[in-house]
Amino acid sequence: MAIGGDIGQAVFVTALLAFVTTVILLVVSPPLAWWIARTSSRWRAPVEAMTALPLVLPPTVVGFYLLLAMAPAGVLGSVSEAIVGAPLAFTFAGLVIGSMIYSLPFVAGPLASAFRTTDGRLLEAAASLGTPPLTRFLRLVLPMHRKALIAAAVLGFAHTVGEFGIVLMIGGNIPGETRVLSIALFDRVEMLDYAGAHVIAASLLAFSLIVLTFTYRWLRP
Amino acid sequence: MRLRINGQVDRGRFSLAVDVDLEIDGVTALVGASGAGKSTVLRLIGGFEPDARATVEVDGERWQSGDRRGGTLPPHARSVATVFQDSRLFPHLNVQRNLDFASRAPARPGVRLSFAEVVGFLDLEGLLAHFPHQLSGGQRQRVALGRALLAPAKLWLFDEPLAALDPPSRREIAPYLHRLCRRHAVHIIYVSHSLPEVLSLADRVLLAAGGRVGLVDSLAAFSTSFDNPLLGDEAGAVIVCEFKGYDSGYRLSELTFEGASLFVPGDLSTAGAADAETAGAERRILLHIPARDVSLSTAPVEQVSILNRVRGEVDQVADQGDSMLVRVRCGKQHLLARITRRSADDLRIAAGVRVQALIKSVAVRSGET
Repeated sequence: MAIGGDIGQAVFVTALLAFVTTVILLVVSPPLAWWIARTSSRWRAPVEAMTALPLVLPPTVVGFYLLLAMAPAGVLGSVSEAIVGAPLAFTFAGLVIGSMIYSLPFVAGPLASAFRTTDGRLLEAAASLGTPPLTRFLRLVLPMHRKALIAAAVLGFAHTVGEFGIVLMIGGNIPGETRVLSIALFDRVEMLDYAGAHVIAASLLAFSLIVLTFTYRWLRP
Repeated sequence: MRLRINGQVDRGRFSLAVDVDLEIDGVTALVGASGAGKSTVLRLIGGFEPDARATVEVDGERWQSGDRRGGTLPPHARSVATVFQDSRLFPHLNVQRNLDFASRAPARPGVRLSFAEVVGFLDLEGLLAHFPHQLSGGQRQRVALGRALLAPAKLWLFDEPLAALDPPSRREIAPYLHRLCRRHAVHIIYVSHSLPEVLSLADRVLLAAGGRVGLVDSLAAFSTSFDNPLLGDEAGAVIVCEFKGYDSGYRLSELTFEGASLFVPGDLSTAGAADAETAGAERRILLHIPARDVSLSTAPVEQVSILNRVRGEVDQVADQGDSMLVRVRCGKQHLLARITRRSADDLRIAAGVRVQALIKSVAVRSGET
């Protein structure tokens, strides 16, 4: 297989995975982050800890348990089997689920920090004008924190691009399906193809540096 | 419209008992010293004290029942809009869209003023494209006022809307408030620290003091009571007079006040209110007389340019540092005079001394009370 085609495919899988993961996280994270930021429930700390786990655990630990869950007999695997007739492990959908869990703290975390700074007096004013809670969230809270939302999306995307351990555990190395750039890089090194490895590694390095520079500039103008 | 509140709000060591049941058509002033719980009462009505053990009923509708089972209507579902001391405009929206936020809120029982009407009334046309950070404090508060008026509501709560403004901004916005409060379609509960504001705008006064909230007997009695927490430099009496006639030659209206005649510039023959009971008979007119515009004399003064001279008897004197505040009883009503400490000593002003009050200026208030 030509090196270029192989890398092109990996770039495509990586970009698609990061894009789908980011979109889903942008739907899931704001309500979760809002709850974490505003609740006085005693469940806040455990939930926040669960969300933050991927920050401290080796990705292989998360990947290992996800692999068990996604196996045909696992919790997620049997559900998937029942619905679409196939297990999740070693599929693109499985990768999306893994990436979501792995990148969640990078999206929900900054959002929760931003939401904590929300001026409650503005929400009171909106309520007093007759605006119900969901409208207050969609039309006041989200627009007021649009910078944080964009920053969180960029971080989520970039972090998904850079993941390796979980993909290795639950995705395997199927070209065009689950072979992402970090895996392709690993392959090159194993085959002692340092020239090919350099192309991928340097590209990822440049990409990450640019994205992070952009994000930090955006966050602090 | 009827307002009933019964129960109490606990805030740490502070506890406020509220037991009011009154008609609140027009403007109801809510006054009291700092920390007496005025804002707490507004928050209770607005729905921001859901844990208070108090019932709140407006216009026969129960908004809060004081126990968990009875439930509490959330703020957005209550037909009440608040104007806060800090204008609380949404920083990411321009004035137009701040106003839209209110005018597009889901329907609530009550009136809904038209956008064009409110914008015209408050002169907001030129500000619509601006963002809150581009406005002066007075302009921001005017927009906040407009935004609250555009929200569907039966009742409006004003939490010291002028308190955070500098004097020029206050002067800029005050006329709008006056015009608004004189429109009887809107019912307002108005927290204020300013006695002239209360005496010129309010139809009745609720007093928060000593952990309780209650209605004061009358504006006239409130304005001259030495227990009045707002009594300061701007003290003044509200008095009730009857219209007697108009002298078109001198362009003066003659009013009767406890047997004496008062003369007020201008034709007041159509001012004031002839309520149902007294229709056809005397018409009552309220006058506001600032204490600093009243001088006292212990001997009758005749050759003087001041037209309005009223006899009375000193019944209370308060030492206010630089000056003395003197309450003079005239029949059943009272006047206030502010005099220097030196004059008080020279004239031996004390309770029981008979005096003549010389009134340099009066302001006419609208007449219904």
